[in-house]
Amino acid sequence: MTAIFSRRANLFVQIGLALLVLGAVCFLLLIWGVPLMNYNDQVSFTPRQPVPFSHKHHVSGLGIDCRYCHDSVEYASNAGMPPTETCMTCHSQVWTNAAILQPVRQSLAEHKPLRWRAVYTLPDYVFFDHSIHIAKGVGCTECHGPIGDMPLTYKATTLYMSWCLACHRNPAPHLRPRNAVFDPHWHRTAATPSGQQLMALYHIHPQTLTDCSVCHR
Amino acid sequence: MSDDPDRSRGGRRGSIFWRRIEELADSPDLLERARREFPSFAALAEGSVDRRRFLQLTAASMALMGLTACGLEVAPRDRQPYVEQPAGIVPGRWRYFATATALQGYGTGVLVKHEMGRPLKIEGNPDHPASLGATSAIGQASILELYNPFRADTLTREEAIAPWSAFTTAVSERRQRLLASRGRGLALLTGTVTSPTLLAQIGELRRDYPQLDWYQWEAIDREPARAGARLVYGRPVDLLPDFGRADVILAVESDFLESAPGHLRFARDFASRRRAVEVKARMSRLYALESTPTLAGAKADHRLALTPVAIEAAMRRLAGMLGAGPADWSHGADPQAKALDAIAADLRRAQGRALVHVGAAQTATVHALAAAINHALGAYGQTLSLIEPVAPPPQAGAALSDLTDAIAHGSVDTLIILADNPVYAAPADLEFARALRTVPFSVYLGEYADETAEAVHWHVPRAHEYEAWSDVRAFDGTISIQQPQMLPRGERHSAHELLALLSGQISADGRAIVREHWQTRAQEAAIPDFDSYWMEALRIGIVRDTAARPIEVQPRADLARSLEPAGGAAVRADELTALFRPDIYLWDGRFADNGWLQEMGRPFTRLTWDNAVLLSPRTARRLGLDTADRVEVELGGRRVQAPVWVLPGQADDCVTLPLGYGRRRTGPVGEGVGFNAFELRTRAMLWQGQGAVLRKLDGRYELAVIQHEGRTLGRDLVREGTLAEFLKNPEFLHYGPAAESLYPRYPYPGIAWGMSINLDACIGCHACVTACQAENNSPVVGKTEVWRNREMHWLRIDRYYEGPLENPALVFQPVPCMQCENAPCEVVCPVHATVHDSQGVNVMVYNRCVGTRFCSNNCPYKVRRFNFFDYTASDPRPRESWNPEVTVRARGVMEKCTYCVQRTRIAMIAADRDDRRIRDGEVVTACQQACPTEAIVFGDQNDPQSAVARRKASPLDYAMLGELNTRPRTTYEALIRNPNPALGDEEEGGHA
Amino acid sequence: MPEHAAELGYDGPVIGPEQDFSSVSTTLSDLVLERPTPRWWYIGAGISGAGFVLFVIACLWTFVGGVGVWGVNIPVAWGFALANYVWWIGIASGGTFISSLFYLIGSDWRNGVNRTAETMTLFAAAAAGMMPILHLGRQGLFYWLFPYSTVMGIWPQFLSPLLWDFFALLCYVLTSIVFWYIGLIPDCATLRDRATKRWQQVFYGILALGWRGSARDWHSYKATYLIMAGIMAPMVVSVHSIVGLDFAAGLIAGWHSTQWPPYFFIGALYSGWAVVLALMIPLRRFYSLERIVTERHLDVIAKLMLATGLMLAYCYLLEAMEPFYTGDKAKITEYLGSAFGHYGATFWARNTLNIFVPQLLWLPLIRRNKIALELISIGIVAGMWIERYNFVVSALAQDYIPSKWGWFGGTFWDWAILVGSAGMAMFGFFAFIRLLPVVSMFEIREIIHKRRGASR
Repeated sequence: MTAIFSRRANLFVQIGLALLVLGAVCFLLLIWGVPLMNYNDQVSFTPRQPVPFSHKHHVSGLGIDCRYCHDSVEYASNAGMPPTETCMTCHSQVWTNAAILQPVRQSLAEHKPLRWRAVYTLPDYVFFDHSIHIAKGVGCTECHGPIGDMPLTYKATTLYMSWCLACHRNPAPHLRPRNAVFDPHWHRTAATPSGQQLMALYHIHPQTLTDCSVCHR
Repeated sequence: MSDDPDRSRGGRRGSIFWRRIEELADSPDLLERARREFPSFAALAEGSVDRRRFLQLTAASMALMGLTACGLEVAPRDRQPYVEQPAGIVPGRWRYFATATALQGYGTGVLVKHEMGRPLKIEGNPDHPASLGATSAIGQASILELYNPFRADTLTREEAIAPWSAFTTAVSERRQRLLASRGRGLALLTGTVTSPTLLAQIGELRRDYPQLDWYQWEAIDREPARAGARLVYGRPVDLLPDFGRADVILAVESDFLESAPGHLRFARDFASRRRAVEVKARMSRLYALESTPTLAGAKADHRLALTPVAIEAAMRRLAGMLGAGPADWSHGADPQAKALDAIAADLRRAQGRALVHVGAAQTATVHALAAAINHALGAYGQTLSLIEPVAPPPQAGAALSDLTDAIAHGSVDTLIILADNPVYAAPADLEFARALRTVPFSVYLGEYADETAEAVHWHVPRAHEYEAWSDVRAFDGTISIQQPQMLPRGERHSAHELLALLSGQISADGRAIVREHWQTRAQEAAIPDFDSYWMEALRIGIVRDTAARPIEVQPRADLARSLEPAGGAAVRADELTALFRPDIYLWDGRFADNGWLQEMGRPFTRLTWDNAVLLSPRTARRLGLDTADRVEVELGGRRVQAPVWVLPGQADDCVTLPLGYGRRRTGPVGEGVGFNAFELRTRAMLWQGQGAVLRKLDGRYELAVIQHEGRTLGRDLVREGTLAEFLKNPEFLHYGPAAESLYPRYPYPGIAWGMSINLDACIGCHACVTACQAENNSPVVGKTEVWRNREMHWLRIDRYYEGPLENPALVFQPVPCMQCENAPCEVVCPVHATVHDSQGVNVMVYNRCVGTRFCSNNCPYKVRRFNFFDYTASDPRPRESWNPEVTVRARGVMEKCTYCVQRTRIAMIAADRDDRRIRDGEVVTACQQACPTEAIVFGDQNDPQSAVARRKASPLDYAMLGELNTRPRTTYEALIRNPNPALGDEEEGGHA
Repeated sequence: MPEHAAELGYDGPVIGPEQDFSSVSTTLSDLVLERPTPRWWYIGAGISGAGFVLFVIACLWTFVGGVGVWGVNIPVAWGFALANYVWWIGIASGGTFISSLFYLIGSDWRNGVNRTAETMTLFAAAAAGMMPILHLGRQGLFYWLFPYSTVMGIWPQFLSPLLWDFFALLCYVLTSIVFWYIGLIPDCATLRDRATKRWQQVFYGILALGWRGSARDWHSYKATYLIMAGIMAPMVVSVHSIVGLDFAAGLIAGWHSTQWPPYFFIGALYSGWAVVLALMIPLRRFYSLERIVTERHLDVIAKLMLATGLMLAYCYLLEAMEPFYTGDKAKITEYLGSAFGHYGATFWARNTLNIFVPQLLWLPLIRRNKIALELISIGIVAGMWIERYNFVVSALAQDYIPSKWGWFGGTFWDWAILVGSAGMAMFGFFAFIRLLPVVSMFEIREIIHKRRGASR
């Protein structure tokens, strides 16, 4: 009787088996590897804003302190977005008829709030508190990246839970003296006290920082 | 979707909450759910997608399934800062504003918690005499009332929407006619009025319209008490009992723990003498005579369940023995003689420190007898004082019946109704609705488009208390200014604005009216700086020094004679005594559209979403009836159909008909829930009536109960003993295995949150449960889901019967999550969704939960709740009313009490920010804050100075099911009763 | 062939003496290759197919509506799904146990039924595998039980019995597929060689993985199969013990006991035997395989069933004794509740079907009456489900705190899942008997070979 399969049948079977294994591996990669490849971590996400506000210009250029606009950052969970009138404190004097500031003037005139696009958004089940991070010497740039040098504000970190935990498990490297918290260009020098010293100073107990209830309520 | 009722409404009339999935199928809501469930199907459902695209979508969504944790579920949003930042508003910061809520005309001070200008939670006002920081269940639920999307907000004329201008013109042209006729035919119907401003306005109206007739009516009023006072003193007075000073209290179906004006204060005072460990031998003793169980009766050391007739007889006997009436009253046979004699002896022993308190439902005679006994016991000036009536009593001829008569005579052509829903709640024999329809011009100011709104020409939507300016007096006369917490929606107006309109001020706003009134008062009182006076009143929530002063009044000399037995007709055997009682939560039905109150288990029956006629076990047996049987109740030729509930502790031959249900027209939540007992209630028998007949109908009624088993079955759940035992050996309740473990205990070096619940103090009022629901975004699930044992309360109050079911002793035991240190729930969760934090709190991480439900199975206390459906999404309350500090739970996740983790965490952050240790009392859980009797104490049990640590050091402290070695952080202080030794053992715990 | 009939019978040989290599191969392979599809197959497949469809619908409805469409509540948060799960996994275990253990101890009667048993295992395990996922509140996230870190930076909790379960089930399903398939290879080769139609040749050819029947093939085959059997036998025990641990590790009165692992395992075997019998009796009748699957087989399995039934009875006695031995109020109430309370009916149903009725098997008369045997086995299969149901539900309904007692009742969708899963399993089985030999041909040939050796 004639052979059912051609000579190359074995080859096909073997290829098939190989592909099967490969497929399994790929699947594992998909659920395991892909996120770690920072797929869709939205880093450097730079939404279009009504006004192309430049932190670089205002912070590094003019040396305006973060708290001038984000005024509740030291004592409230929410850092606070500046009301239109804050913008107008200066811009009623300077660049009074710059085209790009039109939306700001309009907002004041029509008493309609500016609609900024959120750059950093957390899920509703995550309760982040700015004030405590500031109080414990975590600089703005730890999460917001080189905010002082951003012509346009972009998302500088992944905001993955693992990213949060990395710091909550080992805060020391991320701490700085309180006076340097708002300095966008601060960097460790020989003079700065070590992370361990700062932890002692701020009474930070990492073992309590990974409680679920720290962020999830 | 939550703003459209019909979406989430399961097709059927009545509850708009989850019924069953089958019903859901034919609602457009299903699509919505499918969309949430499978995003990729959404577009397809719109039919906007071809097959190809659909496959792409599906593939994509499958591929991304593994990435849900990567923030894909987080949609970027807009941030809209203010244009000009209002002073004091900080995102994520609470602010409190003082105001007051009124019930039956009497005010209770509250603080309203705001976030970003949104009122979100009600707390008691510590400075207010009627609150002292506590709230009632109704008070807690008032915030839901405020947000209820089904409250009327459009002006209607004969049920057709009409512009406000139309109304003002109509009124002003009426006004001309009335001014001409000096107000003839103008009638005003109000409830009990204590508001000084409103009274002043009525006075003004009187000036404009001398012939104005002012009628007063409350569905649940305190007329018997007033009548009793008139009997005794010949003039109306209010009584101010002081339960803190009374050693022996006799409560005659007393409402002093549940609904009497000032009940929160009374409860606090009462509890201050009941916490055995604190007061030791000074513990007060409480006797109760009652026909139907009250919270006071549940707390009583001795409780007699008697028919109203027997109660009056008993009071006479007591009066006779205590020299408050002819001595021969004390002779004669009485089945309760032994008990009554003992009570009398005890009261006499406590001469000057005794107190008799009578509930509003009793007859004037009983009130009078009580007054006489109090005098004989020298209670006045000691445990009781008299004040001028806080609410001006209606003059003769100002009753609702007089109004209907006047209408019948055609002498009323303009009727302004400020009272709450008379058509529904007026005595049935008045046929008020029919009378009302004959009035040529009628205006009704009501919160809902209810039964009354349908019978009047003009329905003006009433602004909620938190939407309007007003003022109100408390039980002791203290005045509070009510300030709005948000702007009224739509055309809502206050009574003040309506009356102002009547007196010619077309666009009067409430603030101006109230403020002007107070300005004039301030001038009269010669207060120099009005503005600061006004601001202070608003800030602290009371107007200083407005409490009424005690007065000296002597009872009539011939009092006793006036109280001679009337010798009523004998009661036929097959006839029952009908008792009309307000529902403890829905009151007279005005809160029927409040889901929280509907779903709150009644303290005794544990019923939700229904009322039932209450019968004693013996009577039920005699009539061959059982719980959930359907019966037809006939009284005075009127009939209603109702389910039966057999209630241990109910007096024999008495059938209690709870009022406030069977609303025909209100919001969709309350419509058609339960039966309407008002249909049987006539002028002659407002509180009780002879001759009720029950006929059994076939079929049974589905009742949704949240507790099925009422006995402890001899399990060591509630530890209790008597004061005598306790004084002999304070440790007498310390027993049971000291649960030892092979494993080392977890160390908790820092804060260790703990809670202690005092069973002596708990009166079962459910304020804590409502507060928990308000604070923690617990959804309302509806009758069917409760019926399936799926209610969502994180905190429940178990009610246990002890002793013979004819007249058992009752125990209330609040059960929140015990926060076990060795938590059984934690080890079985496969995904670490419930774990301990370093304060020893057993936290629940909703977003990690996959819903295996093993944790709930493994919880010996069964305090975990599961979102079987998307309850929060189907809850009609608007999104802005949820507490932003607490995650709103999705379908398929477990949830439970977290010791208000949001509050502890916020406080810890605040303390940590300025590097200090957290102060005791800095964190107060929602339940603790609401509790009128301070039964719940919470704090850091590692701090020996903290209140909770001291409570847990009590010899009565015990852990429920401690033998399981769960090491609960929530422990109880055992229940201590103070029975009268003279009443012997068979009376133990108060069974007659 | 009446003269042969005499030699057969309940204590006769496990195969008709007239059977030889070719006859066996012909009979069995013709069933799939030559014989036209019989009518009873269409009926059976149709009914079970309908059940399968119902299952799919029920699953979709559960996904869309949420587990709330079931009767589960607080306190009874586990209902049908878990009962089904334990039941199905038990049935599966029984099958594997027959084919692996009796292979190891080399009892030749097992060759007549192992194929059926393994196949049944396969589909039962598939049905069982669905349940834990279906019953989740958020089914889409079941993979969170799988230890992969991704971006959350946390792992599953390995203390949880559910996690052990997850792994146990996963291994079990995978290995039993492999075990079953390996057992098929030589037969597929036979079919390939006997096939006349092209598609059959290709189909079975692929499945046969180029099997030549050379000594080398046989050598490595035997080794592999032995190893697999060696793995399977203990794994069955462990898998079902772990299922038992799900409950034993629980704190609540009715579950907190060390006796469940053996209790569950014995129950598993019991239901396993029952299902094999329930399937085998009609199958040999319809396919007229009386000469290959002889009455001897039925007799052996019936006796095994009787023995296991007695073990189970012992377990029930232990179960009854424990609460009173411990004197724990909650345990006692729970047990009495399950026996005489709200769920009493199920309690007595399980005793009747699992213990009382099977005692009839002492009588050869009954053992040899195929109808009776069939009915008893089906009764046991049902009885085992009822036992699981009573076990899961009544323990939850009456726990430590009386105030939170509450009853559970299955909704339409609960039943749809149960019936549907059965439909799915049966449909799979029907598909199998149409496509593959219901009795392992080469293993039967082995018996004949041995017999020859003996007779020579």
